[in-house]
Amino acid sequence: MAAPSTAGLGRRLRAWLPRIMPVRWSRYNPSYLEPEVKTESYQKPLEELTEEEREQMELKAVRPIKAAPPSLSSSVFSDPMVSKFTNMMMKSGNKVLARSLMSQTLEAIKRKQLEKYHKAPENEKETIECNPYVIFHQALKNCQPIIGLSNITRGGKTYQVPVPLTDNRKRFLAMKWLITECRENKHRRTMMPEKLSQELLLAFNNEGPVIKKKHVLHKMAEANRAYAHFRWW
Amino acid sequence: TLRLIFTTTAVQRKNVGASGPEKYTEAFIKKQIEEFNLGKRHLANMMGEDPETFTQEDIDRAIAYLFPSGLFDKRARPMMKHPTEIFPEQRKIQWGEDGRPFHFLFYTGKQSYYSLMHDTYEKLLNVQKHQDQLIAQDLPLQREKRNLAGSRWLTKIELEEMLLEKVSDDDYSRFIQLLQKLVALPCAEIEEKYIQKFSKEVPAQLQKVVIEPLQYDERGVAFSTGEGKRKTASATAIVYDNGTGKITVNGIDILHYFPVLQDREQLLFPFQFLGRIGKHDMVCTVSGGGRSAQAGAIRLASAKALRSFVTEKEVEFMRQAGLLTVDPRVKERKKPGQEGPRRKFTWKKR
Repeated sequence: MAAPSTAGLGRRLRAWLPRIMPVRWSRYNPSYLEPEVKTESYQKPLEELTEEEREQMELKAVRPIKAAPPSLSSSVFSDPMVSKFTNMMMKSGNKVLARSLMSQTLEAIKRKQLEKYHKAPENEKETIECNPYVIFHQALKNCQPIIGLSNITRGGKTYQVPVPLTDNRKRFLAMKWLITECRENKHRRTMMPEKLSQELLLAFNNEGPVIKKKHVLHKMAEANRAYAHFRWW
Repeated sequence: TLRLIFTTTAVQRKNVGASGPEKYTEAFIKKQIEEFNLGKRHLANMMGEDPETFTQEDIDRAIAYLFPSGLFDKRARPMMKHPTEIFPEQRKIQWGEDGRPFHFLFYTGKQSYYSLMHDTYEKLLNVQKHQDQLIAQDLPLQREKRNLAGSRWLTKIELEEMLLEKVSDDDYSRFIQLLQKLVALPCAEIEEKYIQKFSKEVPAQLQKVVIEPLQYDERGVAFSTGEGKRKTASATAIVYDNGTGKITVNGIDILHYFPVLQDREQLLFPFQFLGRIGKHDMVCTVSGGGRSAQAGAIRLASAKALRSFVTEKEVEFMRQAGLLTVDPRVKERKKPGQEGPRRKFTWKKR
């Protein structure tokens, strides 16, 4: 059972080595598609799908699909944003430590929110958000800048030109700012989870140094509006 | 008066490489084909078979028997094939006796490629004209979508074989873009025949793999086996039915063998995806690789074993979730002149 499929796969996979080796390459043939892990998307009946989804389904039936990476899982506890953040926090490949720090952070957030919840009067109890994942997502969304600056050289001088950012770049910048902020501006004795949970709660309420950094970037972009026409893409 | 200057024979000899690769005339190829057919009949006679019904496979077997060779490269071994397979197709001489070329695009250097681009663009303009006519007459435009999923465009090598000249990557991508533009227009059905020359059928993925039926052990419990590999780790998994969800690896419970949560999540991934967490028991053996590689190998093995328990549609869902593909990523080799696979040595100015 394993022999014919692996032999065919090996030939197909080995046959994929482009003539000129590019610097950024992958072991998969470019015709391989990304895997879809969530179970809800497979339980939808046929009639509810839109035109594009139907085309996607037909394409998926014909093309081969990449293997799911080890950080992706169909369980309710795996979140792609949280895994991305964990990977960015990781140092020298120590995923175990990064994962434990992340879970301690989420636990710390939950504890702080529960404390606040039990202390608050009856009418305010509904406004307090206790789910750490919701807080994490909202905080990241609040930290994302809308517009960025890029260096463009014209006539010898380098200008900072305001430029629209892609979704990926926004998410990356928000996460990077949070992590650098927590690593540098803290007292020597505070632990990372504690500081991170503090920063996340502040970002959730649109306060804190990361939000300030985002506003500073926006102001710089607004100030350099005059150079916006330098952008050619 | 002209003086005879001393010259060597080396200068007088013709430059061998200047005329390009060997050109095969039509007469030469015809003679080769006749010789091949004659030789085929002789070979059939020698082997004691019937000359009329001697196929290419028989020829290959006969040559392998008469001229056994232990050379590694199959292309270096003695072979007897039809001359059209051995001598590559070459273009006939593109100019007449007066030196004037036949094709009007000869001096571009890539005449067949540019004439192909011109033809395709002409078809595009035709389609646009037809569209304008329909709009002028207020008729509705036909919106039948071609099934893109079942067909693929010609690869660069196939296009080169078709045009009998070299095509660069850039040119090839431009041609494909033009074809896609043509297909995207609403009334492209008119040029359907032209487009079919450049597209090929792709069969659906699922029909290639055979799913094994369930086996039954002494107690009457259904079980099935699967094998998986990841990076250097190889695993075999036996999944039993009517179980309580216990998983054993190399005789040790998973809670002790995989202390990290991520690995245990990966082991349970196929079961959770199919919603069968408490229903199966698993016994696996794994060797080689590291912690994460072993977890990935067991995941693949269990997914392959679960295929026998599940309907075909669910197998297709598993494949689309990436559970049944072997992960081809391995450690990249170290290159000479560099410290690692990507890291270069420290640059020192002096």
